[in-house]
Amino acid sequence: MTHSNKEINRLTPTNEDTVGPYYPPSLCENNSMDMTSIRSGIVFKPLGEKITIKGCVKDIDGKLSNGCLLEFWQPNSQGVYYRADTESHEMVDPWFTGYTRHRTKDGNFSLTTIKPGTADGRAPNITVTIFSDGIMRVVTQLFFADEKSNRDDPLLLSIPEELRERLMINKISDHKYEIEIIMAGKNETPFFDDLLS
Amino acid sequence: MTKYGRQLGIGPTDNTSNERTPRNKLNLIPEAARKSFVPYAPGIHGINLAEADMTRIAPGRPRASGEAIKVSGKLMDEYGRPIKNALIEIWNANQHGGYTHDEDHSGLPIDQNFLGIGRTLSNSDGNYEFWTIKPGAYLARPDIGRWRPPHIHVSIIGGSSRLISQMYFPNDPHNDKDPMRILMGDNFKANIGKKYNVTANDFDCGYNFDIIIGGKNPTFFENDIT
Ligand SMILES: [Fe+2]
Repeated sequence: MTHSNKEINRLTPTNEDTVGPYYPPSLCENNSMDMTSIRSGIVFKPLGEKITIKGCVKDIDGKLSNGCLLEFWQPNSQGVYYRADTESHEMVDPWFTGYTRHRTKDGNFSLTTIKPGTADGRAPNITVTIFSDGIMRVVTQLFFADEKSNRDDPLLLSIPEELRERLMINKISDHKYEIEIIMAGKNETPFFDDLLS
Repeated sequence: MTKYGRQLGIGPTDNTSNERTPRNKLNLIPEAARKSFVPYAPGIHGINLAEADMTRIAPGRPRASGEAIKVSGKLMDEYGRPIKNALIEIWNANQHGGYTHDEDHSGLPIDQNFLGIGRTLSNSDGNYEFWTIKPGAYLARPDIGRWRPPHIHVSIIGGSSRLISQMYFPNDPHNDKDPMRILMGDNFKANIGKKYNVTANDFDCGYNFDIIIGGKNPTFFENDIT
């Protein structure tokens, strides 16, 4: 996918291309989808509410999208992202990086994580990047339906009201949530453009 | 007030593309939310240097069959600044077009000496290099006779946006009919490796592939990793 480069002195980015059907799952650091145990076999655990989000990625026909590479990124329960520039932040949780990735064989996933806190004036959210055969990378952020702060979130406010519910992770019971991501067509999940933005 | 970004194209003759490409335009991200979109992947640097030599399963093992090539280039942002210490993941088919992936049911021959998966990091000048076997073309859609041209998949974590792309080879007869290549238009030339001669003894040739990561997001890999 190309995009026009209005500023002459800037280089044109390398085209993104499809991940194809054969992304090696062994490249994912752990395919376990549990962000709460970056170091196994110790008594230390990350702060916050441990939750499980069951989800799936569906195509235009409502069929599961097999072979997607999913990447998740979020702040810790205190709302702090673990990054190179925040490594020594006092609120960084040493037992939580907020990043994991997973290649889903059949299109379903189950993410175990810590409920994200409020970061930088944002409602709690999880960034999801999806790579799949036949498409370019797409990226979005998922929110929690029961959070009051959603009504002031700048990203949610930037899209039409009727689309916001498509980004909502719904609570089904204590500590258990679910979400359906729809790649195309009816009820399509809103995706965002981080190259042109 | 919604502002729109790109409309992703649907690759012609590709079923998956039709079924999975969003029909709506991408939404622009307001300034207040932009920074939160760039993942920082910690703990990914436990890389063995030998992982960059994909022509052998492990050091000292036999060389995989086919044309051994070097691929090198520079990782940069849109302003030409080097992106250092970024993780580059590579995967490609063997000389027959077959992958070692357990979902590749093409029946193409597997080379016991070729894994087809490698990793490396860009250095402090943004330069990277790896060695692999030149992949073969493969028939992706036997029902309509559509081939995939030889290509090397690359994934980069550590720039201002996440990138997965492919390097293609110059003058391959299958290049022009590739559905993703058609979507790239004239800019496809940026995804073709530029051939150069390698003076080192045991490689057939090299390809230069500079990679420019788009986006205005901050790069979180600017710190040196010790
Ligand atoms: Fe491929």
